[in-house]
Amino acid sequence: MKKVPTQRLVLGSASLAAMVLAYTLLSNAGLFRPEVVPPTQEIAVAFTELVVGTRPPPAMEGDLHAGHHMHGSDHVGTLLQQGVTLQGSLAITAARVLFGLAAGVPLGILLGVFMGWSRRADDYLHPIYVLLRSVPPLALITYVMLWLGHGEAHRLIPVVYAVAATMVIPAYHGVRDVLGTYLVAARSLGARRWLLIRKVILPAAGPAMLAGLRYAVAIAWMTAVGAEMLMSENGMGNLIVGGGLWASRTQTKADPAVVIVGIVALAVAGWAMDAVARAATVRLTRWVR
Amino acid sequence: MAPMLRRRVARAFLGVGALAVLYGIAAEIGRGRLPDRVWLGTHYVENVQLLPPYRSLLEETAFLLESGILLNSIAVSAGRVLLGFVLGAAFGILFGLATGRATRAEYLADPWVTFFRFTPALALLPLFVLWFGYGEGSKVLLIAASVAVVTLLGAHQGVRSVPRVYLDAAAALGASPEFAFRKVALPAALPHIFASLRIGLGLGWVTIVVAELIDARMPSLGYLLTLAGAYPRVPTMVVGIATIGALVLAFDLLAMSMHARATRWMRRTAG
Repeated sequence: MKKVPTQRLVLGSASLAAMVLAYTLLSNAGLFRPEVVPPTQEIAVAFTELVVGTRPPPAMEGDLHAGHHMHGSDHVGTLLQQGVTLQGSLAITAARVLFGLAAGVPLGILLGVFMGWSRRADDYLHPIYVLLRSVPPLALITYVMLWLGHGEAHRLIPVVYAVAATMVIPAYHGVRDVLGTYLVAARSLGARRWLLIRKVILPAAGPAMLAGLRYAVAIAWMTAVGAEMLMSENGMGNLIVGGGLWASRTQTKADPAVVIVGIVALAVAGWAMDAVARAATVRLTRWVR
Repeated sequence: MAPMLRRRVARAFLGVGALAVLYGIAAEIGRGRLPDRVWLGTHYVENVQLLPPYRSLLEETAFLLESGILLNSIAVSAGRVLLGFVLGAAFGILFGLATGRATRAEYLADPWVTFFRFTPALALLPLFVLWFGYGEGSKVLLIAASVAVVTLLGAHQGVRSVPRVYLDAAAALGASPEFAFRKVALPAALPHIFASLRIGLGLGWVTIVVAELIDARMPSLGYLLTLAGAYPRVPTMVVGIATIGALVLAFDLLAMSMHARATRWMRRTAG
């Protein structure tokens, strides 16, 4: 039993190390321009600069003009000037993701449970839901901005919308699939509406909803970062595209080192949030087994 | 069965119709009352119809259709989504089947799959632009990347969730591992794969809205939306959003019917 995890760990880290090593060799071999494929050490430098928030002063005055100045540092320099740090951006994006989950999950579950519970509501609402769900959240962003102004709302609403639309389905099916023997049994034992919902339907639909929650977490990150890339002055999306509203320009001058740092940070943050959701799933559905 | 279906269709039309009528009423009430000057952070924009009435929506649709903008945009954007989808799905399913079948391959791929699973595909866009240029390549490959991750996980989980008994039974009947994989594991994994394909299609459309801001040229739905947002012209925006929504819906229905066809041999409940 113990052997499998160690093999997984060994092979996994070996593949990780091999890929990083291969990338380091390839990026230092001089085959590509460093502003297209940044060498690993430059990514590390960009990472530390973005975390510390300052750039170490050049060792000698003349170095700046002697070509020692790094090519892509423009992007990092601009970000540092605006006081942007990696952890700060990550916190802002995480806050948007959490808000989206906090508002969107109850909304989606409410709608899903309602449609799953009542045949009549399902008949009327499901077609509307399918129509609305088909609209990609980020397509709404400019329209929402016209209504609610250039504030925080037009970045948050697409996230809430995406999360809610995702959570409807597991809640709906979770409730729908229960409405069989359990329900008949509970009813025949005399359970009334509230007891039924609390003690039969929600526990039975729980696992499906929690699985949906993990998917919703990933969707929330995707939408939040996309909204920030389009229309935000802060957060990870802004860090990646190098400041400013991307929608208003057609060119990007992003430094690949910063993009890679941002992607790695996002992957780690997303993974960490998923780990929390997974742990919650295991805890909350202990009774399933 | 038939009366129930008829009732459901009637109610569906009633629900959607009620919403449409409500919108019309809201647009009529809102005309002249809703603000037509909107503050956009740096400047005011004038003459904004926050709730365009049906008449201006129809005029806008007619204009976009007559000028060929809408149809060209649909063709270009749908072409990108489909190309990226096919590339990504082919890659993702092949790799997912491989990692689902061989544990070693799974362990080797595991850190990378986890990594890309939690990377919002849109964040890759600046990198793809640098690597593959401003043209078609970066857009199509971005869609392919987001589709590949989802389908890889779907195919992997599909192969893994095949009950052990099926494979044991096949082996006991003398099937080679190769044959058992092709005839038992693969068909049993199809529902998972199709579910992930549907999610991937949706993701592809989410991605294109952002990806088409790069090297933005006119016949494309993403740029149509952005342009409408820049002026801003709400009727164009609403028509653009509705068009994308209709396309997503059409693609989803297509994927669902393909799923139903491919798994016809399975006993399943209706719906």
